[in-house]
Amino acid sequence: MSRNWREQGRWAIRATAALIMTVVALSAGQSADFVRGKDVFERRCGGCHGLDNDKEGPRLRSVFGRVSGSVSTFKYSDAVKNAHITWNAELIDKWLTDPDKLIPDNDMAFHVQKADERRDVIAYLKELAGK
Amino acid sequence: LSKRIIHDHNDDGINRRGFLECMAWAGTGVIWTVSGGIASSRAFGAPGAKAGFTFVQISDSHIGFNKPANPDVVSTLQATVDKINALPQQPDFIIHTGDLSHLSKAAEYDTMDQVLKGANQKQIHYVPGEHDTAIDDGKQFLERYGKGTQGRGWYSFDQKGVHFVGLVNVRALEGLGKLGADQLEWLEKDLKAKSSSTPVVVFAHIPLWAVYPEWGWGTEDSAQALTYLKRFGSVTVLNGHIHQVMQKVEGNVTFHTAMSTAFPQPAPGSAPAPGPMKVPAERLRSVIGVTNVQYVAGKHSLAVVDSPLAGE
Repeated sequence: MSRNWREQGRWAIRATAALIMTVVALSAGQSADFVRGKDVFERRCGGCHGLDNDKEGPRLRSVFGRVSGSVSTFKYSDAVKNAHITWNAELIDKWLTDPDKLIPDNDMAFHVQKADERRDVIAYLKELAGK
Repeated sequence: LSKRIIHDHNDDGINRRGFLECMAWAGTGVIWTVSGGIASSRAFGAPGAKAGFTFVQISDSHIGFNKPANPDVVSTLQATVDKINALPQQPDFIIHTGDLSHLSKAAEYDTMDQVLKGANQKQIHYVPGEHDTAIDDGKQFLERYGKGTQGRGWYSFDQKGVHFVGLVNVRALEGLGKLGADQLEWLEKDLKAKSSSTPVVVFAHIPLWAVYPEWGWGTEDSAQALTYLKRFGSVTVLNGHIHQVMQKVEGNVTFHTAMSTAFPQPAPGSAPAPGPMKVPAERLRSVIGVTNVQYVAGKHSLAVVDSPLAGE
């Protein structure tokens, strides 16, 4: 199979899966942003973050509205511990765009390149936190 | 070179650690042979059955990582290559079980390629880790290392009677790895063509057994894959991700995780969370390293030797 066909096949599978997930989620009362955000979270964040367990990064179920560096079970960098910010949509967006620009010398090396993915994952985290 | 073999699963009363610490790594390690679920050992290079072939597993190179746990991951990867090149029996090929890069950057892959060019082995098989896919869904990884692969990068090949299967399980679902229905369907078809007497080696980044699900060290749908592998007489599963050696034997399946070439992680449950573990600089090379695997023709079993870059 040529790469073009494979790319198209992947796109079709992803689009179909997203459509099914959206329909299921909407019928369960979840927003479309939440559904897309969950997908982004699993692809971009899930390697290092869990919702209810600390991994390489702290647990994130209630990160929206939380004070930075405040999960007592997680060992943060001094930079994050001393930042004293409360995570809202604007700050999470800045953090995901360029963590070092928001809090220099932190331990998170990843970033999320696409603005729409950041928006979706923020919607997901906001809804998870009940905000 | 290194002096110590990390794992000891053979309850034979030998003070293996002390014994092994006295040996140089090249040519004098211990080969673990697991056959029908029973482990036995013999000196590396000692007369044994006719040699089939060997290959080396390396993992979790994290090129681009620069934190205190290892500020120079390129030099430890280089030391790994030097170690492989110094082996008395040169492996036929190398398998890299993922997290080649730390951030999926082109420059990181370039550096990786440059270092691995120095290996005597020109045949290198890769599967991605989550660090190779989290930024761009593995686009760059597939462009560079995924030629001829299926789906998100899975594939199989045969080498001297052994069937090798590279799987991709890095999409995290609630923290655990996942293969996905499309890949499982492919795996079932791929294995159907093989007789149950064919030795099978499966390699993937995240462990295909539940090492420690609380830290995401397992694969949500691996049980399905293992049902397809059940009928085979010899199955060896090689993984990375957890940056330490662990082994488990279940029926005819031997699960094995490898050290990283970059930095260690804590033992399951021994720290509040997983992640890069800083050890004193002089100890680093004793907790990272390579895995050497030998297939002995007619034995239907593979011998696995883990060796750090340096002794403690």
